[in-house]
Amino acid sequence: MRSNTVGWLMLAPTIAILAVFGIAPFIYVLYVAFHHWNPFGADPLMTYNGANNFRRLVFDREFLLSIAVTIKFAFFAVVSEIILGYLLAQLFMREFPGRGLFRTVHTLPLIVAPIVVGSVWRLMTTPSIGIIPYLLKTWFGYDLNIGRDAGAAFLLTVIMDIWHWTPLVTLTLLAALLSLPKEPFEQAQIDGANRWQIFWHITLPMIRPAILATVFIRLMDALRTVDEVWMLTSGGPGAATRYVGLHIWKIVFPKTDYGYGAAISVIVLYLTLVMCWLLYVALVAPRQKKEAE
Amino acid sequence: MAQVAVRNVVKKYGSLQVIHGVNIDIADGEFVVLVGPSGCGKSTLLRMIAGLERISGGEVDIGGRVVNDVLPKDRDIAMVFQNYALYPHKTVAENMGFPLKLKGRPKDEIAAKVKKAAEILALEKLLDRYPKQLSGGQRQRVAMGRAIVRDPQVFLFDEPLSNLDAKLRVTMRVEIKELHQRLKTTTVYVTHDQIEAMTMADKIVVMRDGHVEQIGAPLDLYDRPANTFVAGFIGSPAMNFVLGRLEGRDGETVFVSDHGTVLPVPAGTAPRPEPVVYGIRPEHIDVRPGGIAATISVLEPTGSETQIFARIGEDPLNAAVRDRVASRPGETIPLSIDSQRVHLFDRQSGKRI
Ligand SMILES: Nc1ncnc2c1ncn2[C@@H]1O[C@H](COP(=O)(O)OP(=O)(O)OP(=O)(O)O)[C@@H](O)[C@H]1O
Ligand SMILES: [Mg+2]
Repeated sequence: MRSNTVGWLMLAPTIAILAVFGIAPFIYVLYVAFHHWNPFGADPLMTYNGANNFRRLVFDREFLLSIAVTIKFAFFAVVSEIILGYLLAQLFMREFPGRGLFRTVHTLPLIVAPIVVGSVWRLMTTPSIGIIPYLLKTWFGYDLNIGRDAGAAFLLTVIMDIWHWTPLVTLTLLAALLSLPKEPFEQAQIDGANRWQIFWHITLPMIRPAILATVFIRLMDALRTVDEVWMLTSGGPGAATRYVGLHIWKIVFPKTDYGYGAAISVIVLYLTLVMCWLLYVALVAPRQKKEAE
Repeated sequence: MAQVAVRNVVKKYGSLQVIHGVNIDIADGEFVVLVGPSGCGKSTLLRMIAGLERISGGEVDIGGRVVNDVLPKDRDIAMVFQNYALYPHKTVAENMGFPLKLKGRPKDEIAAKVKKAAEILALEKLLDRYPKQLSGGQRQRVAMGRAIVRDPQVFLFDEPLSNLDAKLRVTMRVEIKELHQRLKTTTVYVTHDQIEAMTMADKIVVMRDGHVEQIGAPLDLYDRPANTFVAGFIGSPAMNFVLGRLEGRDGETVFVSDHGTVLPVPAGTAPRPEPVVYGIRPEHIDVRPGGIAATISVLEPTGSETQIFARIGEDPLNAAVRDRVASRPGETIPLSIDSQRVHLFDRQSGKRI
């Protein structure tokens, strides 16, 4: 018989690392969230103040606004990434000259650190320096100024996120497509399905688990975007791109309002979980129930 | 229902040619079996009829219409693949109803047709299951059900029974045959199993290396194989071949093997200078006093018959007899060859003389 102790011993390093770097900080954040703690404020001591931080949240217009723009951002970014990623994956399923090269080049954004992506896009979009405003001006006569134009700034953060993360979607969906058996597709052709019907009735249901997993990963990532957007717009103009991650950063670091920042973090985590759970309930659970019956 | 014609069909993969000008005429309602060893191009030919492979040359005609450039979905055919190709995310009923759903038929009509097909194939209790919850034989039936709800012009089967165990294979063979007798839909059936071919077909097409070797009714192929390949392929246990010559002796023609064994030939055979191949099926050799003396190497009793692997001089000969054999390996028995059922082939070309 295999000993249980040996199993636990093998797991011990992982559990220790998880405890030190994952669980402990999380509990600490939870602890801080129930305290008033602003070391550089009028009352620098950490004092217990119950759920007051959370009460304050509900009436914090800035916070609510940041949640709203974050959700908008995540929605547009993730939806575009899934659609674009799927189309690219389909493209890579086909033979065309230079496919290998194109596929490699197309995944390069993935290996660039978000902070670098942010800086590069910032450079490219800074009015009167960047190439993008220059080209838009000379080709279309359009003045791009993300320091002033809230809509353009928002759009640009979405585009940057798409540029950065679509390859991830492409790779996961490509892997899913490549692993599909080819017979159901041939069968569908014989059964009389056209391209669209094959996509809708065969491809989509068969790669659905991969799509859902990708949506979850990308959604969670998009909801906590900080560094790229911080480099590109610093949350501006105004609060147009101040996504919730940036909002927390502003409260925790420049304002050193640790207790409140911790409370927001906890709530954001909670909101993310709820959103993923809702998605799961809406898309995954009913199907599994049906299959189990 | 429709007749199907394959005319001078050629298939090339790049510079590699795998089908070399095949001609097959299939009458309306006929059950045609394509048979041949692995890699001879049966599946490729079937897939060209289905429209899943492009036709490199020649034409395929279904119901009087050349379909070379018609998409599979517009050919009005149904196909059953070797691994059934069920849609894993659809229930049995959805799988079977899918072709009708694509045609935009009303729900109750689909349900009625699916129910009827399910009755024919004894699938009623499984309609709500998913493919992964079915056994191999049940999946096979669902794939057939999906084909028959269509009521297509032509059924195409690609080795539909090869994933089943021996017993189920026999059952399904009978079921498919019954189904065909009932529906009378033109059917092209691919297999590498010559027993399936013999038992099911109205007409057998024997293929080798992308060529058609012979087309004919099962018993015609058995009785008059056109060449040594067909002779060896059709029939089980396989035909004995002995290499030798036809010589005249005392005014009669006899066969003399390269090792000197003398064997009888059909009456009226003329001697010829070219070397020949002498073919005799094991079931046409009997143990009878006065036969040619042969030494038994191995005996294989199967209950209903006994296979005798024997040697006449240097020439191995395999006989299958109904009676039990009391002799033992190493002993000598008299083998008598039914000379009217001897097949003679030209050794150079392999063609029947
Ligand atoms: N995509 C392809 N590219 C190149 N050659 C191919 C391709 N598909 C099949 N072939 C070749 O064509 C020939 C016929 O293949 P096919 O699948 O029709 O054989 P088959 O008679 O169905 O054999 P089996 O009984 O093993 O199924 C084989 O020699 C095979 O190697
Ligand atoms: Mg095959």
